[in-house]
Amino acid sequence: MADVQMSSAPSARSQRPSGLRSMLYKSETARGYLLLSPALLVMVVGMLIPFTILIAMSFWTRDGFDFDTTMSMANYQTAMDVPIYNAFLARSFWISGITTVATVLLCYPMAYYVAFHVHRNKMLWIILMTLPFWTSYLLRVFSWKVILGYEGVINSGLLGLGLIDAPLEFLLYSQTAVIITLAHAWAAFAILPMYVSLEKIDRSLLEAAADLGDGPARRFFRITLPLSIPGVISATFLIFIPTTGDYITPALVGGPNSPMIGNLIQLQFGAVNNWPMGAALSVILTLWIAAVGLVFLFVTRKSQESVV
Amino acid sequence: MDVVDNLNAVRNGELSRRAFTRSLLAAGVGLMTAPLLPRRAMASNPDEATIFTWGGYDIADFYPSYIEKNGVPPNFSIFGGTEEALTKMRGGFVVDAAHPCNAGLKRWKQSGLFQPIDTSRLSNWGDVMPELVNMAENVDDQGTWMAPFDWGGTSITYRTDLFELEGEESWDMLWDQRYGGRLGSLGSGGDAWWCGAIKAGVPFKDIATDDAFERISAVMREQRPLIRLYSDDTTTLEQALASGEMVAAMTWNSSAVALQYDEVPVKFAKPKEGQLTWVCGIMLHKDAPNVDKAYEMIDAMLSPAAGQFMIGEYGYGHSNARAFDEFDDETLVGLGLSKNPADILGAGHFMIPQDQNWESRMNETFEMIKAGF
Repeated sequence: MADVQMSSAPSARSQRPSGLRSMLYKSETARGYLLLSPALLVMVVGMLIPFTILIAMSFWTRDGFDFDTTMSMANYQTAMDVPIYNAFLARSFWISGITTVATVLLCYPMAYYVAFHVHRNKMLWIILMTLPFWTSYLLRVFSWKVILGYEGVINSGLLGLGLIDAPLEFLLYSQTAVIITLAHAWAAFAILPMYVSLEKIDRSLLEAAADLGDGPARRFFRITLPLSIPGVISATFLIFIPTTGDYITPALVGGPNSPMIGNLIQLQFGAVNNWPMGAALSVILTLWIAAVGLVFLFVTRKSQESVV
Repeated sequence: MDVVDNLNAVRNGELSRRAFTRSLLAAGVGLMTAPLLPRRAMASNPDEATIFTWGGYDIADFYPSYIEKNGVPPNFSIFGGTEEALTKMRGGFVVDAAHPCNAGLKRWKQSGLFQPIDTSRLSNWGDVMPELVNMAENVDDQGTWMAPFDWGGTSITYRTDLFELEGEESWDMLWDQRYGGRLGSLGSGGDAWWCGAIKAGVPFKDIATDDAFERISAVMREQRPLIRLYSDDTTTLEQALASGEMVAAMTWNSSAVALQYDEVPVKFAKPKEGQLTWVCGIMLHKDAPNVDKAYEMIDAMLSPAAGQFMIGEYGYGHSNARAFDEFDDETLVGLGLSKNPADILGAGHFMIPQDQNWESRMNETFEMIKAGF
């Protein structure tokens, strides 16, 4: 704890009783940790300990009802060798990748509009945009079932207009349905960070660009877009990470071709009853997401540097 | 807190953003904790027996004599599947009794969480059908483990107006190329794999052999491209059948009963190869806190009154032979049941309880096939 000693300022009025209290008064680091302690406690109890158990369990193997607790790489070996795991992983990245791109592309204009073209009642606009998220996630998934269903809103509408003869079957119970539902479900998490970073952009930069002869398109690509990239990046992460592990949406609106790695993990902890394998798959998924995230971060940072 | 007032205040500029956020936070905390309040308010009555059961069995009509005696129904805790239930109980969840099915019996016994039932304490035991009591694994030198309660079949519910039958009703209906993309199936291997075994002609006693795995896998792979949806949710299958999105699906009897009740032209097939029959029943937890009440509860569930409700409303068979006396032959045949339940049970295929390794291997294999491997 060299930090503590270095940062503890000598005080002339240190007449207070010694002990914990005086240490707190003296040491900035200790004060910092004290302020952090509720969050740290939650992190350790709620995240660190379960994650350690998960990692330990992933090296065990299942033995009937019980676990064989001798350490082995068997689960990881299986995950490498059996093609289903990699295929599910690839499919999860594919589905959540498309979801992320679609969500960010659809939400950027909304965030842009509120940041630049709404001058009164901005708060109200933001609340209206997040209003659908005040209802339960399950309700929203089921409402998509109503919209996309065989006798749903879209199909009966198109049938009524005479545009199609038979209901479109690819709408529900397909990867399309999973992507649409996920994109809608996570829209608020894309709008808010992008709105914040668009809102922060200094308007005088845009005026300056206009004075120097840039048209609206060049202004957007040279100033607005690069300056809003932090918001886009956080939106991308906020959507990509949770949707990769999602399993409720594919279970409810997906068909035979849409289960994702989350469904497989859930099965290992449920019907298949192979917790160590489920733990290994969770760890693999975490590592993959971290790797993809780092690559993405690296690429965007490089491209940003080359722009600036 | 008045949300509308807050919105007005923001609009009129009377409320700062920070204050608004604070009231949003308050609303959020309120919403998050709201579910905790009623749960505490209706916290289960510790003096009554608790049953851990499937959704749909948590109504008073199944426990008539218990309510007569105690004034209130037992406490209910609900699971969605027996695996989930067993996992939760192995994690330390203690109830008086639980409601598994015969396919899981061996593993539930092996978990060491249950005690044999003292059948002399059940006044209705004498009327319980012996075919159900003597199912595989149930009675051993330690006693009777599960008091059979409900039974039924897994078969094909099909639209009589949309599905053109070729010859007899058969499991081939769910492998019919003409209706590719308009067939449905239950998603859990607990039903589908066994039906696959019937289709593949594998006798259930050989179901654990490698050869059986290969043959069943082959038929399941053949079926997979024809299936529109594997679902664990019977309502989804029922809705798809009602709308004509599917013309035939693997279901339990209750789906056909529910659809017929809504006047959808469906029939619950009696496949010539025989349907899959299952039996579920009540097992007593080894640390049951209210054992005496639990026996009262099981006795109530085995009574003819509970049975009549189950047959009439759910279309499932009941374990008490006297429960069938109230119904005429026509009604029972319409439900896929019979005055002489042994006929139905004899014509069907009873699942044979398997061990955990088989269960895991089967689920893994079936999941791979469903995923397209």
